[in-house]
Amino acid sequence: MKKKEIIVIAILLIISLGGIALFYIINATDQALSVRVTSNGEVVAVLPLSEDYTETFKAADGGYNTLVISDGKAKITDADCRDKICVKTYPISSPGETIVCLPHKLVVEVITGES
Amino acid sequence: MNSKAYRLVILSLFVSMALILSYVESLIPVPLPIPGAKIGLPNIITLVSLLTLGWPLTLLVVIARVLLAGFMFGGGFSIIYSLAGGLLSLFVMTVILHFSRNDFSLIIISIFGAIAHNLGQVIVASIVVQTSNLMLYFLFLMLLAIPTGFFVGITARELMRLLKKTTIFNRLNN
Repeated sequence: MKKKEIIVIAILLIISLGGIALFYIINATDQALSVRVTSNGEVVAVLPLSEDYTETFKAADGGYNTLVISDGKAKITDADCRDKICVKTYPISSPGETIVCLPHKLVVEVITGES
Repeated sequence: MNSKAYRLVILSLFVSMALILSYVESLIPVPLPIPGAKIGLPNIITLVSLLTLGWPLTLLVVIARVLLAGFMFGGGFSIIYSLAGGLLSLFVMTVILHFSRNDFSLIIISIFGAIAHNLGQVIVASIVVQTSNLMLYFLFLMLLAIPTGFFVGITARELMRLLKKTTIFNRLNN
């Protein structure tokens, strides 16, 4: 490998790692956090992240996603989509983190502020 | 066999090999809780095809592979994302190959192709779910694309080295 290529790889590593670090630093806050659920571009629920909660959201196409908030973390525990990508996504707890269910056009995100 | 028919045979071989690699990839679980994270094995074929057949025919290889893989073992919905990623990836790799073939090896081209693949997917996902909040997700995918792209690039380079010893591609260029 040429020296130039190692430099390019190093730059790419710095951009991605630096970007992730920057993202968490910028979004770090002492304020209360909420979970915002958006379906098909419309906000359907804003829930406090500090309280344990479970709700199943119906999608426009008849599908469902079950959201569980516990121990300050939000997670999709069940869904009837084919790929189950939202269920496999890691539990989110920091502002700006998202869980996306593409087939149901559902977005769960952690936001700053009381609900 | 004339060269046109010969090219068609090579093209079909690339499509079927890419399809097999897509299938193998779907069997390998990525032990990371990042949705959509993949190794990108079919990109080995895309790279080899790009170097031997050129981009217009490689475009056919990518489209055929994405559609067939999508219908056979992907979710029906995943086709749009794979297509967006595959096409953007092919575009970026073609541009780098065209302008700086001497500066960068297949490894770098493969890494940029992998990142472009993720970018294409994330852009389409952002449009579908109408959120602009997927930047963090893209950065995680980009970080992962560096080692996977590296691996794919090395594999493609070794494959090319071995294939060049054969006479398979000698009849393509006339």
